[in-house]
Amino acid sequence: MYHYDEYDRRIVEERAKQFGGQVERRLSGEIKEVEFKPLRLQNGLYMQLHAYMLRVAIPYGTLSTKQLRMLAHVARKYDKGYGHFTTRQNIQYNWPKLEDVPKILEDLASVEMHAIQTSGNCIRNITSDHFAGVARDELEDPRTWGEIMRQWSTFHPEFAALPRKFKVAISATPGIDRAAVQFHDIGVRIVENAQGVRGFEVIAGGGMGRTPFIGPVIGQFVERHDLLSYLEAILRVYNTYGRRDNLFKARIKILVNALGADEFRRRVEEEWAFIKDGPLKLTDVEIERVAKQFTPPAYKKLDAADTLLDSYKLGKDRDLARFVQNNTALHKVPGYVSVVVSLKEKGTPPGDMTDVQMDRFSDLADRFGFGELRVTHTQNLILPDVEITQLAELHRELAALGLATANANKLTDLIACPGLDYCALANARSIPIGLAIMERFEDIDYQNDLGELNLKISGCINACGHHHVGNIGILGIDKQGEEFYQLMLGGSAGHDASIGQVLGKAFSRTEIVGAVEKVLEHYLKIRASAEDRLIDVVRRVGLGPFKEVLYPPPAQKGAVHADH
Amino acid sequence: MGKLPLKWVVTGNFTADGSVAWLRAGGEFGHQLSEAQLFETKDAAEAARQLVLGAERIVSDPYLTEVGVAQQGLDALSARERIREQGPSVRVRRPDPSVSR
Repeated sequence: MYHYDEYDRRIVEERAKQFGGQVERRLSGEIKEVEFKPLRLQNGLYMQLHAYMLRVAIPYGTLSTKQLRMLAHVARKYDKGYGHFTTRQNIQYNWPKLEDVPKILEDLASVEMHAIQTSGNCIRNITSDHFAGVARDELEDPRTWGEIMRQWSTFHPEFAALPRKFKVAISATPGIDRAAVQFHDIGVRIVENAQGVRGFEVIAGGGMGRTPFIGPVIGQFVERHDLLSYLEAILRVYNTYGRRDNLFKARIKILVNALGADEFRRRVEEEWAFIKDGPLKLTDVEIERVAKQFTPPAYKKLDAADTLLDSYKLGKDRDLARFVQNNTALHKVPGYVSVVVSLKEKGTPPGDMTDVQMDRFSDLADRFGFGELRVTHTQNLILPDVEITQLAELHRELAALGLATANANKLTDLIACPGLDYCALANARSIPIGLAIMERFEDIDYQNDLGELNLKISGCINACGHHHVGNIGILGIDKQGEEFYQLMLGGSAGHDASIGQVLGKAFSRTEIVGAVEKVLEHYLKIRASAEDRLIDVVRRVGLGPFKEVLYPPPAQKGAVHADH
Repeated sequence: MGKLPLKWVVTGNFTADGSVAWLRAGGEFGHQLSEAQLFETKDAAEAARQLVLGAERIVSDPYLTEVGVAQQGLDALSARERIREQGPSVRVRRPDPSVSR
């Protein structure tokens, strides 16, 4: 993985010291909150409902075990003994004291981590396919390019005060999208043209939130050496023409939609012509310098072991069988798999991990891999390099830590934002709804019967829980101070991107889980086969049949919806 | 249940740790809604808020909110203020498996 050079180290250490001075001035009363707020936000520090929240960047979701142990230390020493992995592959601490934050940043800097640009109207943490570097189906490791973009965007002076925040994601697998690139301000796909030359397809203007859009392709094929200048041109057009008069219309998606993709592209090309052959042109030497940091580890020469993998799935140990069936992914090196470690155990807020779990999991990542792990935007962890022969032993160890829930890509592998239990922006709670769904549908055989299906919950329209792209999406809303939940169907964050549609009137807290159950029951009733996924059924039959089940005419009994 | 009589209070977050603060009589801030000073009108509460803005070192971003006055105490009127008053409605830190199993 990437290791800091002297320049990286210096800017991170200096930033921690600088923030220490700013905190001192705030605590002494020398500066007021209105002056301090932009300073703390630049260091990932929010004020939430009950406490500060510190968001720490995990670039492209890659962590070393040394870093995870430090995250455990921070959780133990400065917080309440846990951290929360987010939908941007970051980690958040929900209870730090202000005076401790500079010390936390110094501790993080010692393991090459920081909280810079995890908030504010700047380019945020760059996310990636969580199987980057190990996926059997990828063209190349996208993290090289994630790191090149990270270095370009960190403290970029021209883009420190954009109209709004700006999120970039990268993926490298043809026809498969595990990074939701079409729902980012910029999505980058590594592609190969007809001549077999690698380059980038660049998408701009996607997003969720108040106004969801699937981003259009702006750059059909951008050559490798031109990536940064092309991105810079997009950012310049956005910085120049993006709206600053209305917070809700300030994201790039609004600009791209207002101009139309063709006009936006024309402006980008016009700007690009000025800078294309300037200092942002990447040299082979520079690309190679960064790529070397992602050299694959020293894999053993193993037999493919696919038969063994199958035998696990058919074995008598049904817990292990379900785990291997649901929580492993094909690896590019024979004899290895990647393992999805679900942070969705019943009773646990999605994405939460205790300090003890982090420490012990670090030990497992050293023992069953090469001291590296990944954070997914679906709030799970990945052990990227596990020998197939060691799966049974790993499963036993994970089970002892409460980390062997075999629900990857199943109903209870749900995303939920912190919601109104923590977040100052939220309108309704997300976590209790998620926990209730995890409890109601705990039976993994039932979930396997439902097949590949995802459910995403947001506590407000800002959509940190990605409700727009859930096969089943739940959006918490406020009605005169009380929490209600809209239910939507048909969203997908994948290559076949789609935005979910609202089914009808919102449900109360006590009704929403029952409404989800009715949707699932009806899906099982009308699907053509076990392979006919919920998303396929919704696309085929539309919302009508599900509306009929959820909102029957008044004469019928059994409606789950109360009048309000 | 009939409507509760409504009053105004001033609230914010302590600068030191972000915890919830309620303005008490006398101009100090405390942690309990039950100790909050009640104002009959929004204007009176706003006047108090303006006064404490000078003490913004202690509490950040004070604002006004309405509460219901019941026999057994004060009721926050929205889900948001109820959760601010009572803390997260979910367990803050799960027990470690080795301890609980």
